[in-house]
Amino acid sequence: MSRFDAIVVGGGIMGCTTALWLARGGMRTALIERDAIARSASGVNAGTLTLHMTRAALVPYALEGWRLWAAAATWLGHDVGVVTTPGLCLAFTEAEATLLEQRSAVRREQGAPIDVITPDRARDIEPGLGGSLKLAAHSPIDGHVPAYLTGLAYKRALAEADCTLLERQPVTAIDRLAEGFRVHAGKAVVETKRLVLASGVWLEPLLALLNLSLPIKTLINQLVVLERLPPVMRTVITIASGLLSLKQFTNGTVLIGGGWQGKGDRETGETTIIPENLIGNVQLAAHAVPALRGGRILRSWAGFEAETADAMPIVGPVPGIANAYVIGSVHSGYTSAPFMGRLLADHMLGRDAVMPLFPMDRLLIGTEQGVVA
Amino acid sequence: MPTVVTIDVDGQTIDAQPGLSVAAALLRAGIRTLRHSPAGSPRGAFCMMGVCQECLVEIDDVRRQACLVAVEAGMRIVTEAPA
Amino acid sequence: MSRRFDLAVIGAGPAGAHAAMAAAEAGVDCIVLDEAEAAGGQVYRAPVAKPSKLKSETVEGDRLRADLRYSGARLAFGRRVWLIERGFVIHAVSQGGRERLEAEKLILATGTTERVIPFPGWTTPGVIGLAATTILLKSQATLPGRRTLVAGCGPLLTAVAAGILDLGGEVVAVLDRAPRSRWLKALPRLASHPDLLGRGIGWWAKLLRARVPVLHDSDIGEVTAVDDGLVVKTKGGEPFACDAVAVGHGLTPSTDITRLLGVGHRFAPELGGWVPEQDAFGRTNVDGLLVCGDGAGVRGAAAAALAGRLAALAVARDLGRIDQARFEAEASAIQAALTKAGRFGGAMAAMTAPRADDVFGLAPDTIVCRCEDVNRGQIERAIEDGADTIDQLKAWTRAGMGPCQGRMCGEAVAGLLARHVGGRETVGLWTGRPPLRPVAVADLAVDIAYENIPIPKAAPL
Repeated sequence: MSRFDAIVVGGGIMGCTTALWLARGGMRTALIERDAIARSASGVNAGTLTLHMTRAALVPYALEGWRLWAAAATWLGHDVGVVTTPGLCLAFTEAEATLLEQRSAVRREQGAPIDVITPDRARDIEPGLGGSLKLAAHSPIDGHVPAYLTGLAYKRALAEADCTLLERQPVTAIDRLAEGFRVHAGKAVVETKRLVLASGVWLEPLLALLNLSLPIKTLINQLVVLERLPPVMRTVITIASGLLSLKQFTNGTVLIGGGWQGKGDRETGETTIIPENLIGNVQLAAHAVPALRGGRILRSWAGFEAETADAMPIVGPVPGIANAYVIGSVHSGYTSAPFMGRLLADHMLGRDAVMPLFPMDRLLIGTEQGVVA
Repeated sequence: MPTVVTIDVDGQTIDAQPGLSVAAALLRAGIRTLRHSPAGSPRGAFCMMGVCQECLVEIDDVRRQACLVAVEAGMRIVTEAPA
Repeated sequence: MSRRFDLAVIGAGPAGAHAAMAAAEAGVDCIVLDEAEAAGGQVYRAPVAKPSKLKSETVEGDRLRADLRYSGARLAFGRRVWLIERGFVIHAVSQGGRERLEAEKLILATGTTERVIPFPGWTTPGVIGLAATTILLKSQATLPGRRTLVAGCGPLLTAVAAGILDLGGEVVAVLDRAPRSRWLKALPRLASHPDLLGRGIGWWAKLLRARVPVLHDSDIGEVTAVDDGLVVKTKGGEPFACDAVAVGHGLTPSTDITRLLGVGHRFAPELGGWVPEQDAFGRTNVDGLLVCGDGAGVRGAAAAALAGRLAALAVARDLGRIDQARFEAEASAIQAALTKAGRFGGAMAAMTAPRADDVFGLAPDTIVCRCEDVNRGQIERAIEDGADTIDQLKAWTRAGMGPCQGRMCGEAVAGLLARHVGGRETVGLWTGRPPLRPVAVADLAVDIAYENIPIPKAAPL
């Protein structure tokens, strides 16, 4: 029976980063993933590195995360193709303009370099903008990373750090031992002193295996890809309501997202596209950048994203269970993920926290202080 | 229906049989390279049944598959400029 | 248009057209959709101009189109179906805009796509498919070039070569992958349809008379563009000068809709590759979804028509429009004919069955995914890096992410992965995702006022 110092369950960016730093910190580490790493929320999101859509309180974390992504070649060891662009958040109605001003102000307070600008200025930055633009917010540091490549980059880094990787092994049971845990994953049974749950939407069933009740809302985010087009935009575009993320990659393809929902089953992992939502999402994108009308939709898919009851992250120790930790449910968390994972790993390695973690005590159901034996 | 009409291909006037697929009409006119791949290799129509997507050209300002569109008098066709 | 039908048939080739006609006959309210402007599929494509000799297929095709017109089935041509939901809701676009229609039952008759095993130079302009050449010859009365080399395997080889001669073109050579003995082995099954066999023999005779060099056990090694045309080198090194190449290695069922809707598949190389799992009438594991025709397994046009009628019959029974007695009587007649027809088509398909070693000899710099310019070397590298599923291979190499949505490269990519993971069955199929075909943003984002875009609730601050 294999015995590890730490096992991370969940191979998204949160889990991968945590496992990577634990392994590099000297712990004998294993990462267990039910499918393939970086394929669920991490693999199917828009890969947007933006501050416009980040929760205000998470802006400092997103800024750190952004810096880490941009420097991936140095610490991850592999370039993940981060492209830095300005980011524009648009408002097409008066109501959106008000919302935009509020959101920008709140994020500015937290350190995000966001300015509110006129439609004319916005069109200077992004000539292809269409529609009845009322107002825009601009951030010089924005960008994107091709989500499908990060899996490969992390896989290589984890191998180089001697982290054991178990893919396609869903965790079915967790036994608590005197000094740690025994994890049943597919055909494997492994033991560990420390357990990290980084399982996205599956945090809820996995915490239930530890007799903890933590409601996690399962979001099913749809994404749409257009074929290669000549350059029609140069920034990352979002909308005040939060319901559009739009970018064009260096290869010319265009990715449209924004959280329009599809249908899905957390148990089977299957998803289905809701056509009306695909159409609405694409209509919104075409409104923002009319030149997109010349393109054709080639692919669409939907992926799971976890959201806690207060839409804030949970990062830190599991209350009442020694050596158990969680990380996840960081809405729009792709940007901050490398930093969040580093934070938790540092905490577990006994290093001082450079920024506060996010204790999950506040969210547990049916207990006084959120502690269940 | 007339047996021949004229269409414009990259600024050149060409005779074409109306109703023929644009792909066939271009083939008859000796035009085989219609576009280029992402790496810059010349490409032309391949499957003739709307599957391979190699015959994409601009027809009257809209990107369309040449093998699925029938020739009409006065059509303006733009193939990709050489890489 | 948004309406509910008893039955929607996707595809108006022989299978779909006959399904629709049989359904209408049985009192089923039915609509047929096809992207083409007329029924007939690929085998009965309406000729743009009447060919100099009226081929029997043209006559059959014209009759099919006429019969369908008078059948009572609703016809919807020029429709590009881009998404189907279970239950069933069909989303299509056409010159007229967006459409959404509902049907209680769904019959898929989506036919096949041509399989071309990659080789160096296969992306050179002037190289086209065998089925592609058939379309050019039959429905466009157009030659692929003045001097065409024909290569590949299966019955289309001789049909295309003979067709080129008929239209006044020159056939530089015919390269047949199969050894001469393959045809002889198939003869007993082919003899079940003497008329079709006779037609095939007639093609061979034509080639003989025209002294066209026919090489057996021969394959294209490489195609290069030269100043005044193309040069084809066989695998054995023999060069041929030409100005067009017609090459194909069989037909493979289109599984995009069945994959999208969660139908189970099995790997049957003798039927062209992955085929939907179905009962004797074409019913699948998805309630109300039936398959028929070559899209359900390659058996030829005659079998397709019969399978279409059988599926429609099952639908009529399942809807209660006909009683058990009538169902059994009609079904048994069709089934007998279907078995016989399937024998010939099956023998033809068996000659072009995908083989595990089809892609083994490819040089690393041979393009596999045409759309994204991904070569064999890049695919092998991703496999070495740990990509062990076809979806992951797609994610890491971009193979299959282009406009053809993996239709041209899927077989080759799967073949390359198969030798590392224990076979084609293990590799499986790419997960089906919408859109089923590329759909223009302009077709979906019709001029719409901003306030009418159904934007969901805003995210929390």
